[in-house]
Amino acid sequence: MKSFLLRSRPRTAPGRCTGCIVSVCLAAFVITGCHRVSASSESISVQPRISPQPVHAGSSSTIHIQLANASAQPISHAQITVEGDMSHPGMAPVFADAAETLPGSYQAHINFNMPGDWIVLFHIKLPDGSRIERQLDVKGVQSN
Amino acid sequence: MSAAATHPMPPGDDIEGFEESPPFDLLRVPVIGGFLKWRHARTFLQVPLLLISIVMVLQGLLGPTISPKNLATVLTWVHFRGALVLVLLCAGNFFCLACPFMLVRNTMRRWVHPRFTWPRALRNKWIPAALFALVLFSYELFGLWSSPWLTAWVIIGYFAAVLLIDGFFKHGTFCKFVCPIGQFNFLAATASPLEVAVREPEVCDECGTKDCIRGRRDTASEFVILQRGCEMALFQPAKVGNMDCTFCLDCVHACPHDNVGILSRLPAGELMSDPHRSGIGFFSRRKDIAGLTIVFCFGALMNAFGMVSPVYAVEAWLSRLLHIHHLAPILGLLFIVFLIVEPAILLGLAAWITRRWAGVRRAWLPTMVRYSYALVPLGFGMWLAHYGFHFFTGLYTIVPVTQNVLASIGWPVLGDPRWTLVGIPKYIVEPIEFGFLLLGLAGSLMIAWRLAEDDCEEHTMRAFTPWAVICLLIFLASLWLMTQPMDMRATMMAG
Repeated sequence: MKSFLLRSRPRTAPGRCTGCIVSVCLAAFVITGCHRVSASSESISVQPRISPQPVHAGSSSTIHIQLANASAQPISHAQITVEGDMSHPGMAPVFADAAETLPGSYQAHINFNMPGDWIVLFHIKLPDGSRIERQLDVKGVQSN
Repeated sequence: MSAAATHPMPPGDDIEGFEESPPFDLLRVPVIGGFLKWRHARTFLQVPLLLISIVMVLQGLLGPTISPKNLATVLTWVHFRGALVLVLLCAGNFFCLACPFMLVRNTMRRWVHPRFTWPRALRNKWIPAALFALVLFSYELFGLWSSPWLTAWVIIGYFAAVLLIDGFFKHGTFCKFVCPIGQFNFLAATASPLEVAVREPEVCDECGTKDCIRGRRDTASEFVILQRGCEMALFQPAKVGNMDCTFCLDCVHACPHDNVGILSRLPAGELMSDPHRSGIGFFSRRKDIAGLTIVFCFGALMNAFGMVSPVYAVEAWLSRLLHIHHLAPILGLLFIVFLIVEPAILLGLAAWITRRWAGVRRAWLPTMVRYSYALVPLGFGMWLAHYGFHFFTGLYTIVPVTQNVLASIGWPVLGDPRWTLVGIPKYIVEPIEFGFLLLGLAGSLMIAWRLAEDDCEEHTMRAFTPWAVICLLIFLASLWLMTQPMDMRATMMAG
């Protein structure tokens, strides 16, 4: 009874819609698949390193950052804030300010408070006032 | 057939002392009731969710690549999932009511009129159960929570699937036979305190139009639908519980006697008996829904297991044992063990003991199917504990992410993002999680007891015990999982 009552007169082929949907999806897939956030100030070299390895949650890790310009000269007097984010949304980020230990060489102590994949962001304010951001993936922080 | 006779369990009917009191009816609550009865209420709720979906897709594709800073991942994996289970626990399936996919589908159907009916062989829950498992598998394999881009594509894929399926097939095919989120909602809503139900069954006895299922058409042209009836083939006078009900309220609008309401009932009470259900049949004869229930319940454990440290030890061990160094086959094996082998052994053994020890005169498989529904509250409790944890501990993360979105489009009206805003402290959330698990255990034990009572009055305890042991085992496993240190890796084989 129901199927009879709700029977619709065929007016438009759903196949036409299918073609449209597939085309739009494919185009979006290709376009956004190539999308990457462009990094500004590519000429600045930021070389981060974490110790000790492997990284353990719950204990302090030291992040060493080497900052240099295009001609490999160390950059002093930069302000670097280190931000650690879990790969899962909704988790508390951790922050630390880096201190300059040698010209162009900075150090920050950070406590990865949970095991798992972390993303470390370096928010860098250069002496000339310009700002750059770099990212370091820290995979598989282990439990203590 | 009398509507009163076909409605086996009116809300509150089996609770002593409550027979005479009419159930609470949300549609009779001032303002809320008036709003829900408004013809455009559903659209009103769907439009904002559609707009949010579009923003999420754009953010996922074009916004920050870091998951905690992207609206697509934060809203999908923290807020949507948490709010969904909490609304299901406290009210009912209101997310299906506000489903933005259906708004797009209904708009499409103004021009595209499907011609086909869903094949009879596929009119069951095997496909959505498999899709549900596939979603859980993909979530772990691709680390969906850590990828805004993939999350956006999940949303796009969902819209595309709705349009394709419901573009070709009539009625509510996608919702009833495909949508994995819908099936999750249907099963969880069996434990909800509200259901769309007939107010007075006697009124339905006198009804000659059956508009609640047939809808109304223009007398001048049968192709013009004035009011849609139930697309899920649920005939109100014979409808039992929330299974397959999307709370679309078409029946409410269609009923010429204003005899359909959103009524209160005993949560999970519909699982304590096995009446014939309109559009579904008997639960005890639906192996497909039992299969879905198993994925729902054991999938809850698997989903949480994928987020704690021991999973990596198990994977590393399997990898060494089998000399396999790719994640997909290892993960596939874990899913097969946890979603098929383990439930088959546990439930199969319990069904066998129930038959042998209590003397239940039902065959082995039907016994297993019948009692599997007792696990729904436990599974729901685990989903609540898991999703509730992310929701509460990450509750305020929506604020800095929204601030960031507005700032990124050059409209920083909410100020600079405050990334330190996170959520409710873990020490407050943890007792709530354990409360959810306990609630689930209590519900499951209650259902198992009632089913055992129905099956075997003389040896109720014997019929009940095997299922109580399984409930306890699942509860302990859930408890153990929730006390494990969280360890969220998109690269599971790394360590």
